[in-house]
Amino acid sequence: MARLSGGAIQQNWGVEATLDSAPQRWVLRTDNATTLAVSRSRVEEFALLRAAHEAGVTVAEPLFCCADAGVAGAPFFVMRRVAGTASGHALAKAAAARGGNTALAAAHGRELARIHRIRPPRAELAFLGHNDFIAEMRARLDDAGTPRPALEWGLRHMERNAPPALPPVLLHRDFRSGNVMVDGDAVTAVLDWEFAGWGDPYEDLGWFTARCWRFGQDHLEAGGIGPLDAFLAGYAAEAGWTPDPARVRYWQLGATIRWAVIAADQALRHISGQERSLELALTGHMVPGLEWEVLEMANAGTP
Amino acid sequence: MPERPDAPDLLATARALLLESLLPALPRERQLEARMIARAMEIAARPAPPAATVLAGATAMIRAGQADPGEPAHAALLAAIREELRARCAVSDPRAIREKTP
Repeated sequence: MARLSGGAIQQNWGVEATLDSAPQRWVLRTDNATTLAVSRSRVEEFALLRAAHEAGVTVAEPLFCCADAGVAGAPFFVMRRVAGTASGHALAKAAAARGGNTALAAAHGRELARIHRIRPPRAELAFLGHNDFIAEMRARLDDAGTPRPALEWGLRHMERNAPPALPPVLLHRDFRSGNVMVDGDAVTAVLDWEFAGWGDPYEDLGWFTARCWRFGQDHLEAGGIGPLDAFLAGYAAEAGWTPDPARVRYWQLGATIRWAVIAADQALRHISGQERSLELALTGHMVPGLEWEVLEMANAGTP
Repeated sequence: MPERPDAPDLLATARALLLESLLPALPRERQLEARMIARAMEIAARPAPPAATVLAGATAMIRAGQADPGEPAHAALLAAIREELRARCAVSDPRAIREKTP
């Protein structure tokens, strides 16, 4: 077993095992000592992964799940290990060097559309909440206790300009470059399902394409990988309907607000002593720049 | 009077040593940590922004729609928010403001 590069919240371990004398390459996923309260449990993430796998989403095949913390210190699950890398910066740099990767942007669109084909009610996903975005952001800002008028300004703008709600679908809620394993021009696994919930499909479209997730390649609107229209065309091919770019931009504002809220919460984990970390501390210093961008978007006539 | 060099000078000098001398000698997989330390020193060397008292009560006003376009408070509150944010960006992320101006 060897520790793989993991997130701030979870740990991933590479496992070489032998099953009926056949060699297996697996990944064991479990929690860090401290976990974000809004993050899903490993058992729930396993159920999401199974639902996604059955719906044809490209994920690492989920194999076993152990809810008993007595076995490994925390609940864990095991999935098949897949090839590829998931570095947002490296992908964006490589895509920009060739003037944008249209094929890979479209592949991301197709994957997201497959996720959105999963619709409530689903008995095995009964733990998922319905997401009221603006109310949730305001509650999190209140809980954090630091007034952030620029984010309030952005949320009020969203409230005043809200388009009619679409029927809820399964949202990944962290579908961005860096959370999708890629090999060449192909997606090999959609990762990190712990923030999933039911909601408006445009929320995920805005998250993937927001400037904060373009890894320095601002001109490649689809995740720093390729053009927006290629991503939306990939989505349309799999979804059977074409997203409205104006509504995607409305949710890019939502994405920037939400990332600012999450970044501020991550800094609080450091400040409170819950998890002392320079990375979390520096994430807090990204918040003012994000707030500035929110104000800019909310006052730029974003629909 | 405290002994010179002062805190910003010390941090800038230490940061330059870290980036110019230590960083190139580090293995690739440890270079991100050195860059994070350099970034922390850069932020810490800047003077803290003043507390913005003019924004007390802004949250409630905005949520109640009292700062919406067309409301009397709209322009003044927006200007105050920008000013406070400009000061915080100057410490945490000056490039955010240089890139675009609302």
